[in-house]
Formats: sequence, structure tokens, C-alpha cells
Amino acid sequence: MAQLLPQDKIQPHWWRKTFIGIFMGLLLSYGIIALFAWFGPDGLTTNTKVQFNMWMISAIWLPILSLCYLFKTARSAFICLLMANGCVYLLFASLWWLQ
Amino acid sequence: MKIRPDVLRTYQSVHTWTGITTSLLLFIAFFAGALTMFKPQIEQWASPSNLAATPVSEQRIDQLISQVTQEQDKAREGFNIDFSEDGAALSWFVQGGGRGLRLNDKLAFANLDNDKQLVVQQAPSNELGNLIDQLHRTAGIIGKVGHEDLGVLILGVAAALYFIALISGVIILLPTLVKQLFALRQHKGANRLWLDSHNLVGVVSLPFHLLIAWTAVVFAFHDPMYDGLSVVYGDKPLFEPRARGTITYNLDQLPSMAEYQKQLTALAPDHRIDKFEFSGLNTPNPSLAAYLSANDRMQRGGYFDIIYLHPFTQEVAYSTVTSSEQDAYAPIVNSFFSLHFGNYAGNYGRWMYFTMGLLGAFLFYSGNLLWLEKRREKHNEQRKATKIMAALTIGVCLGSMLGIAIAMLASKWLYFFDVQLNQGYMWSYYATFALAIGYSFYRGAARSAIHLLYMLTLVCLAIPATSLITFIIASAPNWSSTEPGNLMVEVIAMVFAFVFWRAANKAKSRAYFGERNSIWAINLPQNKGLEPAIAGSTS
Repeated sequence: MAQLLPQDKIQPHWWRKTFIGIFMGLLLSYGIIALFAWFGPDGLTTNTKVQFNMWMISAIWLPILSLCYLFKTARSAFICLLMANGCVYLLFASLWWLQ
Repeated sequence: MKIRPDVLRTYQSVHTWTGITTSLLLFIAFFAGALTMFKPQIEQWASPSNLAATPVSEQRIDQLISQVTQEQDKAREGFNIDFSEDGAALSWFVQGGGRGLRLNDKLAFANLDNDKQLVVQQAPSNELGNLIDQLHRTAGIIGKVGHEDLGVLILGVAAALYFIALISGVIILLPTLVKQLFALRQHKGANRLWLDSHNLVGVVSLPFHLLIAWTAVVFAFHDPMYDGLSVVYGDKPLFEPRARGTITYNLDQLPSMAEYQKQLTALAPDHRIDKFEFSGLNTPNPSLAAYLSANDRMQRGGYFDIIYLHPFTQEVAYSTVTSSEQDAYAPIVNSFFSLHFGNYAGNYGRWMYFTMGLLGAFLFYSGNLLWLEKRREKHNEQRKATKIMAALTIGVCLGSMLGIAIAMLASKWLYFFDVQLNQGYMWSYYATFALAIGYSFYRGAARSAIHLLYMLTLVCLAIPATSLITFIIASAPNWSSTEPGNLMVEVIAMVFAFVFWRAANKAKSRAYFGERNSIWAINLPQNKGLEPAIAGSTS
């Protein structure tokens, strides 16, 4: 493996990456679950699907939080998660509009 | 597998920080959690059988209920029926009642004597099992936030960090995973062996740990998660509101126990009926909670499924027994609960979870030891932070185990004295825990580790000894000490005693004959001169 240049190495940015992981990761998890809840199988039925959805929020969130330290900088973590959130919520809005 | 060195370094830091901040809390939660696998057995072991309701035949139970509800005010509000092979037993709370850990509850139970006269006795409810359960859920942290325990929320945060620690632990292990997973290198020093066993235990029980971490996060934060979800759902309610009752029924209209049994057997043919809990019988919203268990099914509760009925109309309000009529999500959600509780494979499964829980506790303990070793000063005196962490690790880990052991040891003796039983448990645990931590700071980690381990050995041996003594004393309450389940508690106490004794001896030889410049070494005054020679340094 070639030696990495200092600017190519992962920057620590602990606190910023952690906060981005917590808040934007949670927002993204809710976005994915919102898509599944409204437009996934069985639609918005109010019985055990709501429990399933609640469980799945953290199942998506925890891996995002764990892996967000892989981003090189806090800035790139922010941009990537912002874009992911944008895509998910845009998809939600367009499906809503089509409905 | 090749991983970039900067990724490894990053996740090494993540693993260290998430690990060291949560390990002590998680140690308590896992050790107590392993014991809760056998909570019903521990409760049975601790409760004298002559201070509990005597089962009567299922034909007589209805007669007993009607007589008791006529004469006893408290029983008119609600009562419990426990089913066993010997029949059905009736009891009710004269004080307290409801869910959670309550220390001052008093149960009353009744029987009909030969002249069909009612004989009523009272006893405090034995909360030893619930105390261990509470320790598992809160790590012993006292306090409430709203209606949730503070300890549960703190453990929820710890569980999220623990999830991150698991992922980071796997990442930093990936480069050497295939080559070294089963390598337990004993000749490369104690430190290497600790690291190898830490890695092996972590990897082989990884699915269990990921699942426990995730479910613990959900158990702690389900309320805020639902609050967030209600935003997603917009105007649609998350749950159908429960209809409020308007009619207060007369107790004469209560169906017989056999009628409920027939209905429940039809609803859950694979389950055994364990317990009925009637509540609010004199209100417009009465409820019957029927606890049912099945050894080979995934159950929603720790030890049971539950069906809520309207006791008078027999209308089912809520059921955790999955049936084909429900949607596809019900069994999936049930499995999340069941996989945390380990209740899907009978006693075999419980022993598996018991073992994995103890291995989990080992994982956190060994993780702390590795942290300490890494920060070891080779030549100078150990740093203050290292000393504090070492003392905390010994005090908290051994102290929590000793606290539980002392509470179990005190259990039978408390019945001989006129003390509040459950307060006695609480005092036993918290006093021991605090003293152990204090001792560990006072004498230092090396000495207190040895002493506390010997103490644990003694206390664990005293548990079966106590049972033997109370078995011999004729006037003692009857604990049915020869029942297989109760004997098992004694056997496990002896196994723990053996393990603690071995560990104490190992710790002792490490202290006197191990590396001199270790946080675990005890340097006696006469050894002082030898020290530099042994350590091979002149400092």
C-alpha cells in the first residue's frame, strides 16, 4: 500500500463527526422509514407495522453513526449525509405529490 | 484483509473511547442480565413455599375466589391466580401491586380449611428476582426521568456507544482476523492472552452483541422514537385509542376460571397458562392479564406471552401471541423482543444466553484490563488515571457481583429477623457495592482484587451452606431446598465459588511473581531491593 499523504488521511474531527452522525443520521433514518411507512408494503396501517418502523429507525441509525468516522473530514460527512437526506426527502415529496 | 492504516487508527480511538466509557455499566448489566435468564428459578429459590398461596384444585378455586372477594376489600379490586401442576393458587396485594420493582408490597393468600372456613395469611412479596432484573436494566442507577428510570436511559446511551464499539472493534480486527482469530497465545505474556481472548469472545458472539446493543437502545428510547414517528405519520394516529368502559360489573358476573382457560387454550393452543392477574374489577375498566408461556416459541415478554381480556365480557383487548390472522410484522417485532430475552429455546436457550451474558461481562472486563496495560508505565510509577481506572474496574465489577452474592446470601437469613425483606436486599447490595469500591480505592487495585475475589469465593460457598443450615433448622421457613431448580441455584453458586477462587489465586501469583512494573504487582518492602533486578531496569 502506498504511503498516504497527510492531507489524504482521515482527520479526527471527533465531535463534529459525532454530532453529524447523531443528528443527520437520525434524520436520514426517519426519512427512510417515512418512505417505507407511507409507500412501502401495507401502507400506513396502524398496527404492528408502526412498531416495526420504530424498531427499524435505530437499526438504520446505529450503523450510520458507527461508520460516519470513515469520512475524511467532518465537512465531507456533512455534505454526504446532507445529500443522502436530500435524496430521501425529495423522493418522499415526489411520491407524495404523485399520490 | 487490508485496511488503510489511518482507518485503523481512527477506529482504534473510537473503540477505546466508546469502550472505556461504557464498560463498567455494561459489565453490571451483563452479569445481572445473565442471572435474569433464571429469574423465576431465583425467585422460587428465595421464596419459602409455606409463605405462599397453597394451590387448590381447579374445581375449588372459583369457590375460594367468591368467598375471598366477599370478605376481603382489597381482593375485590383485583387478585392473582397462579397455575401449577398442583392446581391454582389465589393471592392478592394488600399493599402495593402493579408493575416494576416495589419494595413494600404485601401479598395476602387464602385457603379454605377443612370446615370451609377462610384462612388468610400475609407475607411480603419477595423481590430478589426483580432486584436483579432492575440491576440489569439500570446498572443500579437510581432515579427517574418522567416515568422512565434514569438508569435505563443511561444504559440506552451506553448501548448505542457499545454498538459503535462493536463495529469499530470488528474494523480494527479485520486485517488479522483470519490469521489470528483462534490463536490464544499463552507464551507471549498475559497481555497477549487477554487480547486474544477478548477478540475471540467478541467475534464469536458478535451477532448476539449487536442484537443486544440494538434492542437495548430501543428499550430505552422507544418513547422519543415513537414521538418522532408520529411526525412522520402526520394526522394518522400511531395506535388505535383504547375504548374506555362505562359499565361497572358486579363480581358475581365473573366467569369461572375454567371458562377463561377454555377461551385461552383456543386462542393459544401451544401455550401453557401460567398466571391470571385481575385488576380494576370494581371500576368501569377492569382487566385480566393472562400470562402464557411456550418453551419452543418466540415470546414477547421475558418469560411469557400475554393476553389482555375484559374479565366480564371476555373480549380480547390485546394479545402478544402471534396468529395467522395478524399481519406479517407481528412475528418480526416479536422476534426482536424474544431475541433479547432468549426465551425461544427453553432451558437450553437460557443456558446459552446465560453463558453469552457472562462472556459479555468478560468482554468488558478484559477490555478494561487491555486499556490499563496499554497505558502502563514501563519504568516509572503508574499514572494517576491508570490507578483510578484500575481501582474502579475492580471495585465496580467485583463489587457488583459481590453485592448480588451478598443479597442472595442474606436472603434466607432476612426471614429470621424482623426486618423489611426487600429493603434488606437493597441495603445488602448497595452497601456491599459502595464498600467494595471504597476498599478498592483505599488498598489499590492489586490488593483489593485478590481480597474481593476471596470474599466472593466465601460468599458463594456460604449460599449453599445457608441452605443446608436452614434445611436442618426445624423452625425455619420451608424453602423446598431439595427441588431440582433450587438445587441448581446452589450448584451454580459453587461453580462461581470455584471460578472466583481460581481467579484469586491467579491474581495473587500475578501480584507477587508477575511483571514488577504492572498495576497489578504488589511490592512488599523486602522485595524492594530485588525489584530493579526483576524488572531489568535501573529506575
